[in-house]
Amino acid sequence: MDRSQSVKLIVATIALLVWVAPPAAAQVGAAGRGALPRMWDGKPDLNGVWQALTTADWDLQDHSARLGVPAGQGVVEGNDIPYQPWALAKKQENFKERATADPEEKCFLLGVPRTMYAPFPFQIVHSPDYIAVLSEYAHTTRSIFMNSEHPPGPIEWFMGDSRGRWEGDTLVVDVKYFTDQTWLDRAGNFHSEDLHVVERYTMTTPDHIQYEATLEDAKVFTRPWKISLVLYRRKETNVRVLEYECYAYAEQESARRR
Amino acid sequence: MLMGRALSPGLAIAFACLTCMIVAAQEGGGPRKTPIAGCSPVSRNFYPCAKAKAAAFQPPRNPDGTPNMNGAWNPATANGSQNIEDYAGDAFLNPQITLIVDPPDGKVPYLPQWANKRQDNWDHYIDPLGTCYLTGVPRQVFAPRGIQIIQAPHVFAFVGEFAHQYRTIPTDGSPHIGDSIRLFMGDARGHWEGNTLVVDTTNLTDLTWLSISGHFHSDALHVAERFTLVDADTILYETTLTDPKVFRQPWTMAMPLVRFEKGHEVWEEPCFESDHDLPYLLREHKLWIGLNPSN
Repeated sequence: MDRSQSVKLIVATIALLVWVAPPAAAQVGAAGRGALPRMWDGKPDLNGVWQALTTADWDLQDHSARLGVPAGQGVVEGNDIPYQPWALAKKQENFKERATADPEEKCFLLGVPRTMYAPFPFQIVHSPDYIAVLSEYAHTTRSIFMNSEHPPGPIEWFMGDSRGRWEGDTLVVDVKYFTDQTWLDRAGNFHSEDLHVVERYTMTTPDHIQYEATLEDAKVFTRPWKISLVLYRRKETNVRVLEYECYAYAEQESARRR
Repeated sequence: MLMGRALSPGLAIAFACLTCMIVAAQEGGGPRKTPIAGCSPVSRNFYPCAKAKAAAFQPPRNPDGTPNMNGAWNPATANGSQNIEDYAGDAFLNPQITLIVDPPDGKVPYLPQWANKRQDNWDHYIDPLGTCYLTGVPRQVFAPRGIQIIQAPHVFAFVGEFAHQYRTIPTDGSPHIGDSIRLFMGDARGHWEGNTLVVDTTNLTDLTWLSISGHFHSDALHVAERFTLVDADTILYETTLTDPKVFRQPWTMAMPLVRFEKGHEVWEEPCFESDHDLPYLLREHKLWIGLNPSN
């Protein structure tokens, strides 16, 4: 899927969302928090296929449309990302080089939180001890280990090390041990290996998760900052996370040309 | 000659990442001799013994009554999928006792026209795992370092550490996806037969192999798998492969999956993201692009 196709897809999806929004909103009032699906241990049941419907993967912040990019309202609280001066210059350089420098262009794992708002569905499968987040993009797996400690570092992982716990009905996930090889979006927003992310997943209806992530990185930012967006349950009766193995397709293409 | 063998498909995996060499040392030390669940670890003996034990075992259960298979599982006798048939071992591949229990000769029943293809694969192609492709099915279950099984109501996930691949398996009675959609990991659907999880996987490609040694299949492959707890720490894994384009008859492998020690976690192993050896491999071997590359 090239970018113009994926823009069409997301525009079509947003159009669909606008169309279904009124009944979904009506459900919130009718169902209320008590009607959330529950796991065997009484915690909210997050099992299912989910997808963000924002334009955050193109740009976390407010942005006008440009060729191949739909306009979008940002997901950053206050809209400002508090870069240190050198880092702001670096972000602007990334933006200029984005067509080749974005790790997504190389089909690399997208990291956290980007995987959660990339324009691909992901499936959550969870038992009380272990939450798997499985994305269609490059068969990304994310393991959230519950009620346990981070292993001793330093370790550099694309997806970081995720440790989860429940605060009431909110799943709180502490993620650290990143690389500096991932970006936060296609607009060049970035972080260092010191990134520390705290995510909060709050199911507001059986089909919506309010997702918040606080990002902290003393090498790059002047203070912690927060993004907030909604994850929607994919409701098609036959929905299935498929595969987007971009690097394999690229290698096979070049092998056929040889 | 030495250079050519050093770049053989057998070593593609070892080159793909440093940790794989550790795997070879840990898991590739040749046939395992100690019993597993009180049974011989040799597949042809383990199979009937484990089946009899499983029939008498009352497994731990989830609140919905299904046998609880959550955990990290090690295919302890599969040597990281180096080979699946009897093999004496050489400088590149460890000795192996066949994992095949049917047919009784322990060999993959290839159609006559494919009799030399496995050797051709070994000689001329890079194991798709060495290029960081997904393992495919059933290789996912016996590839290096095993799988984490996560069991939720009406769905399983199998997460493999090697190259971060996964498979989700609905057990809700839903039908397979449309036949024209092809997936490296296929479309898996599961159901329970007594205490056995039965998985049916279709929609596969011919882009994956079954072993480092070059065992292969076509896109007509249909995989049936059975997972049964033998005791609290052992699963009997059976898989039957049907592929009329390549095999004379359906054939079956059986092997134990042994629970990793308490506290074992499946961690991230980026493969493609950190794999820089492909240009070297391509000097002497070709990329595998399916059974009929001219098409």
